[in-house]
Amino acid sequence: MWTFGRKIAAGFALAFLLLLGIGGVAYRSITSLRNTSQLIAHTYIVLEHVTGVLSLLKDAETGQRGYVITGDEAFLEPYQTGIAGVPAVIKDLRQLTTDNPHQQKRIDEAEPLIAAKLAELKLTIDLRRKNNLEETTKIVRGGDGKKIMDDLRRILDQMDREERELLKQRVDEVEAVASGAKSTIIFGTGFCLLFVTAAGFFITRSLSGQIGAAVQHVQSSSAELQSAANQQASGAKESSTAMTEINTTISELMATSRQIAESAQRVAHVAEETSSAARAGDHTVQKTQESVSGIKRQVDLIVMHMLDLGKKSQQIGGILEIINELAEQTNILAINATIEAFGAGDAGKRFAVVADEIRKLADRVGGSTKEIRVLIEEIRAAVNTTVMATEGGSKAVDLGARQFAEVTAALKQITELLGTTTEAAREIELSTKQQATAVAQVNEAVSDVAKASKETEVSANQTLQTAGQLAGLSRELTRLIQAPANG
Amino acid sequence: MSEPSAIASTAAELRNAFDRTRAIPFSTQAVEQVESLLSIRVSGDPYAIRVGEISGLASDRKVVAFPSSIPELLGVAGIRGGLVSVYSLAALLGYTREADQARWLVLCGTEEPVGLAFSDFEGYLRVPLTHVYATDQGNAAHAHVKHVVRAAELVRAVVSIPDMVELIKRRCEKSRVSKEQ
Repeated sequence: MWTFGRKIAAGFALAFLLLLGIGGVAYRSITSLRNTSQLIAHTYIVLEHVTGVLSLLKDAETGQRGYVITGDEAFLEPYQTGIAGVPAVIKDLRQLTTDNPHQQKRIDEAEPLIAAKLAELKLTIDLRRKNNLEETTKIVRGGDGKKIMDDLRRILDQMDREERELLKQRVDEVEAVASGAKSTIIFGTGFCLLFVTAAGFFITRSLSGQIGAAVQHVQSSSAELQSAANQQASGAKESSTAMTEINTTISELMATSRQIAESAQRVAHVAEETSSAARAGDHTVQKTQESVSGIKRQVDLIVMHMLDLGKKSQQIGGILEIINELAEQTNILAINATIEAFGAGDAGKRFAVVADEIRKLADRVGGSTKEIRVLIEEIRAAVNTTVMATEGGSKAVDLGARQFAEVTAALKQITELLGTTTEAAREIELSTKQQATAVAQVNEAVSDVAKASKETEVSANQTLQTAGQLAGLSRELTRLIQAPANG
Repeated sequence: MSEPSAIASTAAELRNAFDRTRAIPFSTQAVEQVESLLSIRVSGDPYAIRVGEISGLASDRKVVAFPSSIPELLGVAGIRGGLVSVYSLAALLGYTREADQARWLVLCGTEEPVGLAFSDFEGYLRVPLTHVYATDQGNAAHAHVKHVVRAAELVRAVVSIPDMVELIKRRCEKSRVSKEQ
């Protein structure tokens, strides 16, 4: 899209070109007119000289006649003036007609005649002075002088006609050039007026449209600017409020930082004490680990003895099986003895009593072996339980030993970490102090920001006023643009 | 588990009982007033056998089976240097089958001893004669049980060994007759 300046410049440039063309045409016409006018003046001068030559010759002839007739020298004054002026006039005439060969030729023809005429006049005058009137009259009556004058008149008349022809041609040229210049000026001026009017109309229309759009844009922008300024003002108020709250929070933060520094100091102190206690605990744990190793050895010994006891119990069980078998066989034998005693009748009754006693003893042995078997089973179960419990204890002791080793390592690590903690607590203390200083600086910065927020609020209000003024200005511009269109 | 003191008192009681037995004067009267029985179980049921009706008791003897038309005959076993025919007491008593292996034997008869096999031997009983009761003979299913005995809160049928021997003889005779026919 073309800018305002470009459009206006283009309009003025076209108008300038048109005016320049019209001026050029006018200049060329005026120059032609001036040249033609000069030529016309030149023609008039030539005509004047032609007429002057004839007039001077007439004056000389008039003086010659008066003197010849009167003999009075006073009548020779025109003659003197004529013969004095003719050469100069001829010379000027030759110079004035240097561009016209016809006229030069005629001048060449006229000059001998003029010289002859002047010679005839001088001869007559000289004769008259000598009082030779007859000779003088004879010469005059001879008619040579008249013939020369007639030839001169013819030649000068030819020159006059030609010059007048030239004058007519040049007048016609002047009229033609003047007519062309007039037409050019009239039509060019009319066209220029039409073009300037059209260009002014279109430029005005285009500029009104563009400026109107720009003004509408300015109105919209000013409205947005007002809105933004309102938001900025409210934001600045909120920022100011928030800065006040931040200021309060920072004050609390400073107090908290001081408390943290004090706590970090106490932590460092406690960490040092804990480190000492951990080192003492490390020694205790090492002793406990040695005791646990002793317990483990004792538990292994117990397990070995208990396994031996289990084997012995199994052996006792085997022997008891033998005893039980013997008791059963004894019982069977006693019963068979009893049967045999019954078969023996009275003689066997006493034997039957003994056999019954033997059988009872065998029964009791069998009962006792059952009890012993129960006891052995209980012993074996107890041994198994004890072995399992002892193995569990051994595993627990192993686990305890490993855990003690881990505890020892953990205590060492705790001691190291406590050292690190002490250093960290000191660093925290130092950092917290630095933080407190930084927070104070932040507090100052926040105060500055609060001031800046207030200044921003004022600036936003000023922006709001400026936006209002801009809106008014845009409305005024709209009115200025739309007034001609509406009017 | 028995305590050591209880075991010691039991041992002392046994010792005293043995000493007391040896201390009192010998008397056969006590023997005559009681019935000596073997308490057994046949297919889980309690039975008793009179000691006076048998000639011996054995256990875990190898019984060699051989083909026979008598279904109650289990085979023969070597006892005291002789061959003894072994019959299933449970089969003779009418049980269809014995639940467990019959590892016990009682010997019956003197001329041609036979063995009656059963599964469980519980012990030796001495029961007063007053605890032995006669049974009703009308029940054919218990034809070989003529008495019952009450011992240790339990009533046991007393198997009549002579009847069993007689039954075996009849079966053998029947088998022989059927073979001859």
